[in-house]
This record gives sequence, C-alpha cells and structure tokens, in this order.
Amino acid sequence: MAEFLLLDPSMLMNVLLIAISGTLICIGVHFVPVGGAPAAMAQATGIGTGTVELAAGSGLVGLVTASYMYANVPDASMALVLAAGAMGSMILIASAMLLGGLVYAYGVGVPFASAQVKRDPITGDTQEDYMSKGTQGHGIPTVSYVSGLIGAALGGTGGSLIYFVLIGLYSGVSSAVISSNAAAIAGMFAMGVYYVNAVIPSYGVGGTIEGFHDRKFKRVLPKDTLTSFIISLIAGILAILIAGGM
Amino acid sequence: MADESLIKRNKLIIIAVVSGLSGIYLSPYFPALAAIGAIVAVVWGADAIRRVAAYGLGTGVPSIGQLALGMGIVASMFGLAIVGSVPLAGPVVALVTASVFGLITGLFAQHVIKMNIPVMISGMTEIAAAGSLIIVGFGSAAAGSYVFGTFVQNIFSSGIVLVIFWMGAMSILHPFNATLGPDEKQKRTLFLAVSTGAVTMTIIGVAATMILGSAGIITMVIGIVLWLVFYKKFWDEVYKDAASVVGTGLIPKTEA
Repeated sequence: MAEFLLLDPSMLMNVLLIAISGTLICIGVHFVPVGGAPAAMAQATGIGTGTVELAAGSGLVGLVTASYMYANVPDASMALVLAAGAMGSMILIASAMLLGGLVYAYGVGVPFASAQVKRDPITGDTQEDYMSKGTQGHGIPTVSYVSGLIGAALGGTGGSLIYFVLIGLYSGVSSAVISSNAAAIAGMFAMGVYYVNAVIPSYGVGGTIEGFHDRKFKRVLPKDTLTSFIISLIAGILAILIAGGM
Repeated sequence: MADESLIKRNKLIIIAVVSGLSGIYLSPYFPALAAIGAIVAVVWGADAIRRVAAYGLGTGVPSIGQLALGMGIVASMFGLAIVGSVPLAGPVVALVTASVFGLITGLFAQHVIKMNIPVMISGMTEIAAAGSLIIVGFGSAAAGSYVFGTFVQNIFSSGIVLVIFWMGAMSILHPFNATLGPDEKQKRTLFLAVSTGAVTMTIIGVAATMILGSAGIITMVIGIVLWLVFYKKFWDEVYKDAASVVGTGLIPKTEA
C-alpha cells in the first residue's frame, strides 16, 4: 500500500515540496548574520549566538504563526500560511537584531562595521574607518540586517511549507491515530527537519557568516544546498510513508 | 583521539543498543527500565559526540546534539508508525532508519561539505542511532508503551514529546560541552552524561505521573537517586583531575 502511495504523482509532489522546504531553510540560514562566540565579545560582525540557535528560534516562531493561521482561518490557502510563517520568523530575527544592536551600540559601545566589504552595499557608508584593530568587524551593519530579514523570510517559509504539506496529508488519512493528532505529528516532523537543515549549513559556513555580501556565501551555498535537498528528500519520503504505512 | 578510553567504542555500542532496546520492550511492564536504557543511550551518544566534536565543529557542540535528536525524531516517528500491525518491530526499525539517516548525513558532511573530520561518518551514524533510542526510550517510559497509537496519544497530544526532544538533546550535548578542553577525560565526561540522563529521567518521571500514575513516581525516584549518585561521582572526578582545588574567598572590598 505504501509503495502505491509513494508513486502517486500528488505524493511525489509532496515529497518534492518537503525537499524544497528543507532547501529553503538551508538557504535562509546563510543569509542570517551569525557571529557566534566572537560576536558575543563584539569581535566579529553579526548576532552573538550560534547559527542553529538563531535559525531554530526564528523557524519555531514561524511554525507557531503558520500553524495559528492554519488553525484559525477556514480553508487557509498555502500562500497565506507561508506568509504567516515568514512574518513570524522575520519578526523574531528583526527584534533579536534590534535588541542586539542596542546592546552593541549603547552597552558595548562599538560602531557597526563589516570586515568583508569596504562600503556597505546598501547605504554606501565606508566600513574600514570604523573597524577596531584585531577584530573581524562588530555590531550589525545595515546590509547584515537586511540580509538577516531575507534569511528569516526564507526559513519561515520553508518551515511552514513542511507543516502545511504534512498537516494536509495527515489529517486526511484513514488511521484515526494519525488524523486526530495530525497537528502534533506534523509539527514535530517539521521541527525535526528544521533542526537537521539548520545544523547542516552551519557546518558549511563554519560558525560565522555576515550575510549575502560575505565571500563565504557564494563558496558554501551550492554544496550546502545540495546536501540539504538530498537529506530533506529522504525525510520527505519517510514522512509520506508514515501516512501510508498504517 | 588516541586517549586512554576506559570503555572501547564497540563495547559501548553493544551495551547501549542491547540495554536501550530491552528497556523499550519492557516498558509496558516497568516503564522505569525504558528510561534507564535511554540513559545508557545518552552515555553512548555523549561518547560519540566527544569523539566527533573533539576535532572542532566550528559552530559549537550544541549543534550536533540538536542534529542528533532532529534525525532521531524523524526516524523514530517513521519507525514506530510504519510497522503497523507488528508493533514489536517498531523500535528496531526506528533504530535502523536513524542509523541509515545518520550515515547519509555523515557521508554528505564529510564528502560534500568537506568537514575533514575522519570519524564524521561513523560518529554521525552513532549519534543519530543514539538519538532514536533516546526518543523512543524516554518516550515509552512516559507513555508506558512503544506502540505507535498509545505513544502518540499519550505524549504527542500532551506535548511531552517536546520535553523529551529538548531534555534529550541537552543530556547528550551538555557532557562534552561542559568538559571539553585539552584535559578532557572519557570517565569524567561519561559520569556527567549519566547524571544529565538521570535529570532527564526525573523530568520524564514527573511527566509520566500524569499519564501512568504511580509508575511515574518510581521513574522519578530512581532518576533522582541516579542523578545524586553520578553527579557525586562526576564531582569526585573533577577533584581528582584538577591540579588543586582552592577556595578564593569573597572579592576584597578595596582594590589591592
């Protein structure tokens, strides 16, 4: 029975959608300006915590807003749920960067500067003059802020897409156990896939990245994306088989 | 990492798989055993993490713990659900699925992302497998069953699975994260792993009292006892490994 289900075009479409959502999460992680421990000491550009923490934090908020939209709007369309997820993630990342920026500016007392570019690609401000010696930049410059918002939008869209696909699938299956707990199973599955796809690119970027203007961005994006796509494809097949296996 | 390992890797894998699975299979009769089996899996996972993360991941030890449980939960849900009318096969299928999932992730991390960690592939397989044993082990200790229907009904709808996810991840990532460094020793790290596993067991016991009643209290009490015993053992190891332990007193009121 399971095999028939998997070969059905609509099921293949679902598997593909889950693989795409995993890839979106992976790409999103590359946009978020993560500084890790060096940034926590204002010695590198970005938010002072790990990739996984930021990606997962924004992803889970996206999941909450997306599931709220799904539960409260009758027959919510895919676009509406995805937009809700993207908004949730963007709000979390934006507030994290805003509050982090306040701490860097008024608490630590550093100007915001990027070590990767001479001029901010968005505002055109010079960066080098504001760099402290021996650091890799500090604070969250405008370009990193914008990049973070793009990343959160992609991540939130990806997370809510997995949820949307799975809850639609699980609530329609014949097994009473799965259909009555569809939200919980779909949510946990989305969370699991989210974590895997948040960690894989963080290994690729090696802990810190400033945003889309970082030289690392172009270098690591293709291989991380390929990895995430394959891993999410496998996760997608497992998720679809759950629905057919009972 | 050729250090003086007290427990060899293969021996630990066998102990963890056997005790983890037998604990899960005995969970309908005595749920606390599933949690004890899961603690052994925590020790295995923590040991695998210490072997992989000793090379430096570039992004901190917590990431690998979260990856382990992320792979573990996907594989466990699949394993328990797919077996349908033969629930006895569920935990084994979950374990095998997690290992394969971990193996593929490890292969990609090593050859596509090029992390250059020699033990990446075997390490990733082990942590995913340990992650699955932890989820199913602590899960069946709280639910009182490893059958998918009861499992989902008892711990998914109530949200206890989130506690298992987070506490499980913390219990395997914390030991190495707290003890890493040039003088890290397997014995000290693994004693801490038992104690973090026991903390998780205690919390699972609290959750289980809501579902299973008195059986949960047994899990909780055993968890507290194991935690105290092994935290003391970890404490003693810290004192033994330290060059010296001195009291610094309070910070002086005036600058010297």
